[in-house]
Amino acid sequence: MTAEASVAIVGIGETEFVRRSDRSVGELAVEAVRAAIADAGLAPAQVDGIVSVYGEPAPDDITSSIGMLRRFTGTAGYVPGAAALSAAVTAKLAIDAGLADYVVVYMGYGSSRPGGPYTFHAKDPIKASYEMPFGFYGQPVYFAAWQQRYCHDYNVKPDELAGVSMAARKWARLTPGAQETRPLTLEDYLQSPMISTPLRKADCCLLTDGAAAYILTSAERARDLPNPPVLLSGYGLASMDTTMHNIFTQKADFLELGSRLSGPRAYACAGITVADIDVAMVYDCFSTSLVLQMEDLGLCPRGEGFAFANEGHTSPGGSLPVNTHGGHLSYAYLPGVVHIAEAVKQIRGVRGDAQVPDAEVALVSALGGNDHASLVLTKDR
Amino acid sequence: MTAVTDHVPEFAPYLDDPTYSPFWAAAERGRIALPACPVCGVFQWYPLPGRPCGHAGPLEWRDLPGTGTIFTFTRVERAFLPSGGAPPYTVVFVELDGAPGPRLVTVLVGEGSATPAIGDRVRLAPTRTATHTLPTFALAAGPDPAQGETR
Repeated sequence: MTAEASVAIVGIGETEFVRRSDRSVGELAVEAVRAAIADAGLAPAQVDGIVSVYGEPAPDDITSSIGMLRRFTGTAGYVPGAAALSAAVTAKLAIDAGLADYVVVYMGYGSSRPGGPYTFHAKDPIKASYEMPFGFYGQPVYFAAWQQRYCHDYNVKPDELAGVSMAARKWARLTPGAQETRPLTLEDYLQSPMISTPLRKADCCLLTDGAAAYILTSAERARDLPNPPVLLSGYGLASMDTTMHNIFTQKADFLELGSRLSGPRAYACAGITVADIDVAMVYDCFSTSLVLQMEDLGLCPRGEGFAFANEGHTSPGGSLPVNTHGGHLSYAYLPGVVHIAEAVKQIRGVRGDAQVPDAEVALVSALGGNDHASLVLTKDR
Repeated sequence: MTAVTDHVPEFAPYLDDPTYSPFWAAAERGRIALPACPVCGVFQWYPLPGRPCGHAGPLEWRDLPGTGTIFTFTRVERAFLPSGGAPPYTVVFVELDGAPGPRLVTVLVGEGSATPAIGDRVRLAPTRTATHTLPTFALAAGPDPAQGETR
């Protein structure tokens, strides 16, 4: 390791993950924050910092609901997706600077509610002027255009996309609380409804109502708490020179993502190489984005991500377990944050049937439009 | 006259904002136009508050020949538009002749529109809707589609 990790994740909390919850996103977020604080062995009054991933539900609503007095309040500042990870860096800066001792990062999200995750893009006048009139709207359609080009450039057949979502489902079937646990065979995949060629429903993430949270503190304080500390040993943030208006259509290097930069930055920060990674949690809003990031991150050769998954390398028992909770494809769509929670569980060694033996180094990596964030989480030695 | 059978999405663009309206005014004239820097000629698509080329002043909308090459595409089977859309339809990204850099997002209409390939040549083949003219494209090899028809 290049430098001693200054902070650790000491608590995680998750609600149930369902479609169309009858509870408000605020209620769900409060439950997740309470659970994370309890998991850390703390009382709400001890937690003096909060970082909101989305801004909503508002941090003051959360803290006043649970009797927590804020000393430090922050927001993630990166595009949703990457934000749940960049929030850990915000929390680290606050802890390092002495602005807070214990910081909770939280996300409450209701993507299964009317309008879904698409409305975010409908507010963009450029999309409304130059894309929506042509029916280019909705993330499945955006990523389908990327996937079509990927298939052309790397000679991948549409049916060969199957292994990515099949691997996710295998992991979800080993995971309590996963939202989608029905078996997914190759035959099932090929019968999954086509959404926007070549992407089928099975290539798209779930829509989820729920919340998740995690707690960071200094590595020193972490060693006095009940859970084994999970150290934030490396972090890399990156952005491309595109905008949220044009990222899906105008990138000069069409299939380039910020992971090309954030991954190496995180590895250098942690003093590791790809070979040191025991388990990887990579943002999987679609099969497409998972594979593009895996290739950028050096987890498999460029153009071979789908073959890598089809050969079983990312599945239970494989050489590089990826998204061992089932990911956003099968576990839950709480962008990025459930990937952090899963990495923490793997390093704690509490994943039961889905436990990766001797998991000590976890990569968590997530895409948010132009932005990208990668974290290296490690076992305290 | 050929009956227009192609489905195109239902979503009216903003026509009254000067940032966006020249594109749609050109479409009404049966042309495709994109904005370029009058100093260096670099096309800027989409609009930004500043100019990466470093020059100042207004952009110049330039009429283009209306031909190009498919860069990527997707056949939309399930539309997510607030209006519901009218799937299936084929969205294509077109690299336009005379405008290096930008990719135009548009809809492919006419013969073969359900099964295009990356690299196919296309040409402007506008579709009139109740509210506006949509600068749709057709495969260059196909017969003349029903230009200027009302759906």
